[in-house]
Amino acid sequence: MNTLRPGDAILTDWREAAARFEREIGKAVVGQERAIRLLTIAIFARGHVMLEGDVGVGKTTLLRAVARGLGGAYERVEGTVDMMPTDLIYHTYLGEDGRPRVEPGPVLRRAEDLSVFFFNEINRARPQVHALLLRIMAERSVTAFNREYRFPNLQVFADRNRVEREETFELPAAARDRFLMEIGMEAPRDARARRDLVFDPRFHDTDRLTEEVEAGVLDFERIGTIASAIQHAISAEPAIEAYVVGLWEALVHPGPAGIRLPGIDMDRLVQGGASPRGVAFLVRAARVRAWLEGRDWLVPEDIRAVFPEVMAHRVFLEPVYEMRRAQIVPALIRAVFETVPAP
Amino acid sequence: MRALPLALLLALVPLPAAAQVRGVELRTPRAFGYFQGDLVQVQAEIRTDPGFTLQRPSLPKPGPVTYWLDLRDVRTEESRGADGAHVIRLRLTYQDFYVALDARTLEVPGFPVTVESAGANGSTTAVAQVPAWKIGVSPLREVQPERRDDPADYLRPDGRAPRLDPQPALASAAGFLALAVLALLLLAYDRAWWIFGRRRGRPFALALKALGRAKRQSQGEALYREALLALHRGLDATDGRRVLADDLPDFLGRHPAFKGQAGGLEKFFSASRLAFFGRDTAGAGTTLPLPEVEALLRRLGAVERSA
Repeated sequence: MNTLRPGDAILTDWREAAARFEREIGKAVVGQERAIRLLTIAIFARGHVMLEGDVGVGKTTLLRAVARGLGGAYERVEGTVDMMPTDLIYHTYLGEDGRPRVEPGPVLRRAEDLSVFFFNEINRARPQVHALLLRIMAERSVTAFNREYRFPNLQVFADRNRVEREETFELPAAARDRFLMEIGMEAPRDARARRDLVFDPRFHDTDRLTEEVEAGVLDFERIGTIASAIQHAISAEPAIEAYVVGLWEALVHPGPAGIRLPGIDMDRLVQGGASPRGVAFLVRAARVRAWLEGRDWLVPEDIRAVFPEVMAHRVFLEPVYEMRRAQIVPALIRAVFETVPAP
Repeated sequence: MRALPLALLLALVPLPAAAQVRGVELRTPRAFGYFQGDLVQVQAEIRTDPGFTLQRPSLPKPGPVTYWLDLRDVRTEESRGADGAHVIRLRLTYQDFYVALDARTLEVPGFPVTVESAGANGSTTAVAQVPAWKIGVSPLREVQPERRDDPADYLRPDGRAPRLDPQPALASAAGFLALAVLALLLLAYDRAWWIFGRRRGRPFALALKALGRAKRQSQGEALYREALLALHRGLDATDGRRVLADDLPDFLGRHPAFKGQAGGLEKFFSASRLAFFGRDTAGAGTTLPLPEVEALLRRLGAVERSA
């Protein structure tokens, strides 16, 4: 169903490049087609991504492969409880001559061509660090050494594991809202992929594995332009607008929308969230998905494909239900899609 | 109640307080012919000066009066007489238990009744004496009855009870039973119990009806979109969830009866996409013209009925 007009030849070329990018990443990371597809969508929607999942499922490998495929600089920091915002910006050390030196830290070192900034275990860092990250994510700029550093191509990937809760700081709602997606990663279910991951020595050396990914499949400096071209090229009909608004309404007020989940008081379930920015992000991501599928118009499936990752972390439940979030929110989203009529 | 006062016994009892009690009048029924167990109704009328009322505790209590006589009931009513006197009427019901061997006259004892008047300087009381009166009691049978061989023959045969007709009661019981069953059926239908729980809706039949209604109300592109919407709603209702184009294989997996219509459904979904999201209703109309939508609905309805 290729309905892109010939005038959009650049977009067509880029779509092929995106497909090649996905294939290259797939060489290094097996059994994670959905995560790869979502990451590709996030890259072309210029959104930041939070990866969530157990330890050792390949989050870091995936991000290293993406960074290599994107080209550009890649920085990585580990969140710790004693990390301060200055640790990200400044690097202080004693020089060979014994004098203290202050140099740009990991964020500033290659600001201009920094394409992927990977924040590992983000929930171990303090709220001060989250605040700095919020600024970098929202404005893609930071002030240091008496000047403003800009990160035109920056994309922040963060990860947190779901296992520990000790000595961690929950991300404030404002910070979570800046992330385009929260992608949950699990070990592949496919038996063949599992056997390969465990027995094939190719997957044991992450450095060699990521080197198999062709470097710079996408030109990271031009993605910003392409991203905005995609947003303009993909049209949304009134029917799809009504559909998105209907989904939004049903998600925030599930009770009046006629959604019932067993054992839950639907009128008190959702406290808030699902911000207009979140819904705008949703449409942004859905447009990229439509483009990747070769359409220049949105269909409900585009919305549905990205909805859980884009919207789930923006819904805030009553504290009573918050502990069971991992079960309730997916069920709620499933019910929303089963209830709201598409056309 | 025997309303006719057969005997009128009038007694004017002069009392020390005669100034307040103007008179006591006793109206009795017949004075003779009472058998064991008969009820005797007596009316005593006490006339007092205005302002006096009956002191109820002074009334005789229902219960045994003598060994052969019980007082069963005492009722009172007070009214104003024609001459301005206050009239207290006592209706007394006695029961006679005297087993008479011959006709004889017995005296029913009288009793005092207190009336009082509450004034500013305390209350004044006066006693009205209801006089004794007499009733004549008679035996039920002769003293020496005719000799019988069988002692049981001394007893009168049992009275014959009328034979009751059970037909109306049976008919109304059957009627109410039928009503109860009907109500239960209605409840079961409402709650989808029993066989009603397994009844399947016919979403495609409903969709066809909706299309028929839409045909009368709209035309052109609007009608075409209505037709597509009707089919969408039919699919949604069949599956119990919203079915999008990409869900078609899953839908057919869940409802294998519709597999024969897979081609038509695929065309329908691509037409629907074009019409609703691709801004190309005309293109959709060539992919799947309106008559074909209707025909597809009919075929789906037929599958639904036979499934």
